[in-house]
Amino acid sequence: MTDEAALHRIDPAAEPVAVEEARAETETDAGFGGLFTLRGKASRLAEVTVAAAASLIVLVLWELFVDLGFTNKLFLPAPSAVIATLWRMAAGGDLFLQAGISTLRVWVAFLLSAVLAIPIGILMSSYRIVGAALEPIVDFIRYLPVPALVPLSIIWFGVGEETKIFLLWLGTFFQLVLLVADDMRRVPQEYVESALTLGANSRQVLSDVAFRAMLPNLVDSLRITLGWCWTYLIIAEIVAAQSGIGFVIWAARRYMHTNEVMAGVVVIGIIGLATDQGLRLLHRRLFRYL
Amino acid sequence: MHGMADAYLVFDRVTKNFGPLPVVAPSFDLTIRRHEFVVFLGPSGCGKSTLLRMVGGLETASSGSIRLEGAAVGAPDRRRGMVFQSYSSFPWLTVAGNVLFGMRYRADLSEAEKQERADHYLRLVGLSDFAGAFPNRVSGGMRQRIAIARTLAAGSDVLLMDEPFGALDAQRRESLQVELRRIQQTDAKTIIFVTHDVEEAVFLADRIVVFSQRPARIVSEIDVAGAFGPERLLSLRDDERFFRTKTELLHLVRRTAGVEP
Repeated sequence: MTDEAALHRIDPAAEPVAVEEARAETETDAGFGGLFTLRGKASRLAEVTVAAAASLIVLVLWELFVDLGFTNKLFLPAPSAVIATLWRMAAGGDLFLQAGISTLRVWVAFLLSAVLAIPIGILMSSYRIVGAALEPIVDFIRYLPVPALVPLSIIWFGVGEETKIFLLWLGTFFQLVLLVADDMRRVPQEYVESALTLGANSRQVLSDVAFRAMLPNLVDSLRITLGWCWTYLIIAEIVAAQSGIGFVIWAARRYMHTNEVMAGVVVIGIIGLATDQGLRLLHRRLFRYL
Repeated sequence: MHGMADAYLVFDRVTKNFGPLPVVAPSFDLTIRRHEFVVFLGPSGCGKSTLLRMVGGLETASSGSIRLEGAAVGAPDRRRGMVFQSYSSFPWLTVAGNVLFGMRYRADLSEAEKQERADHYLRLVGLSDFAGAFPNRVSGGMRQRIAIARTLAAGSDVLLMDEPFGALDAQRRESLQVELRRIQQTDAKTIIFVTHDVEEAVFLADRIVVFSQRPARIVSEIDVAGAFGPERLLSLRDDERFFRTKTELLHLVRRTAGVEP
């Protein structure tokens, strides 16, 4: 109660100060004040502070929800319990091995997708013969639900690694083709025409100008599809798998070890987030000119 | 006015249709001399840009031919360089990198020669101090200068400019007009410059070709070189004859557009 009262005392005083500061700052770095302005810009520190606070609030509410007995811990363990489990699993070392196996699967499938999808997508947008031939096929296949193809893929590839890679590839390849095609389509016509009138031939226009121009968007498309690859991982790893994070989650479910299920989910989340941030950083480094 | 000996770039009974609609009507003839600065003046969408793009090889005529020094123009090449209204400098290359790109496909130049030419054209357009900057760090006017320097460095004989200063503010446009005219004189280029700005047309042109609304037809050809000579300075704008020519032309354009009887 006293705390709340203190908050109320501080609030009206603190807010105008923040707004004042925001006005004084430049447009790109409006500090904390920009958080409250319509379409305002806030400083990096302000963004991080708000993000951390919001995450903390969610965790605290969740913890309270479980600790105060609103739910059965068997179904929804508290975040503290999940963290403890995560710690225990990590200490054994097995968790890292399983995460490594999953990461390897995701990357192999993702790279296979990328290696095929990039040239095909580029050609689809560059030559109508390729576009007209492939667009309907790709459009159709990308709407096929991956889980529905699990039986087929087992028939085709058995229950080994091939099935898992195939399912992950299936989930990303057709999406990526269309994203790449779109990235290429969005390269300004002026770039292409400038290059042509500077003496470039079609191949040179594609490799020296169009590809270079689409590269920042391409890296973004790859980052997005890599994320999708992780979402298909669970489907791939509950199909007769003996290893991987998906398998860990699925095995824990059998014994109602909800803590471990959640720990597995958290691990995927952490790897996904770390990869995504890493690729964003790479994007900023590579494309400083943007 | 001038015989066939002067014919450098010739539009010979050119027609162009997009679907059933003619862009150029009924058959377009025009002869441009070497080192002439011709401005195509007309309302937006009248088809003057299409004619320009046909010279560049970016569009093909439905019938008739366009000949450069007697040979029909075909696919785009570096002899006919294009400068667009939107900033077409490549964002991933520095200012100098963009100018060097203009010579990327020239096997006849050594690396040292390319560097020398790049330096020369950077100086010519006043961008030497920004050689290492990326285009997103320089103004719109500078980006157009990059595009112009890049096209010149490529070794274009004909510069095809499609409203290149259309997106610039008035001051930048004026100073670039003076510079373009100077460059055209020193580098002895043939230029076709498309615009809908009457003042820009009078200031830049040796000859103004006034177009009707689509389908494009030549309404009038105005010889400006005879009146103002080859050298154009900013002070020309204060000249009474400049003002008179501009006003006459403005009325002609309005009559063509049907907004004035």
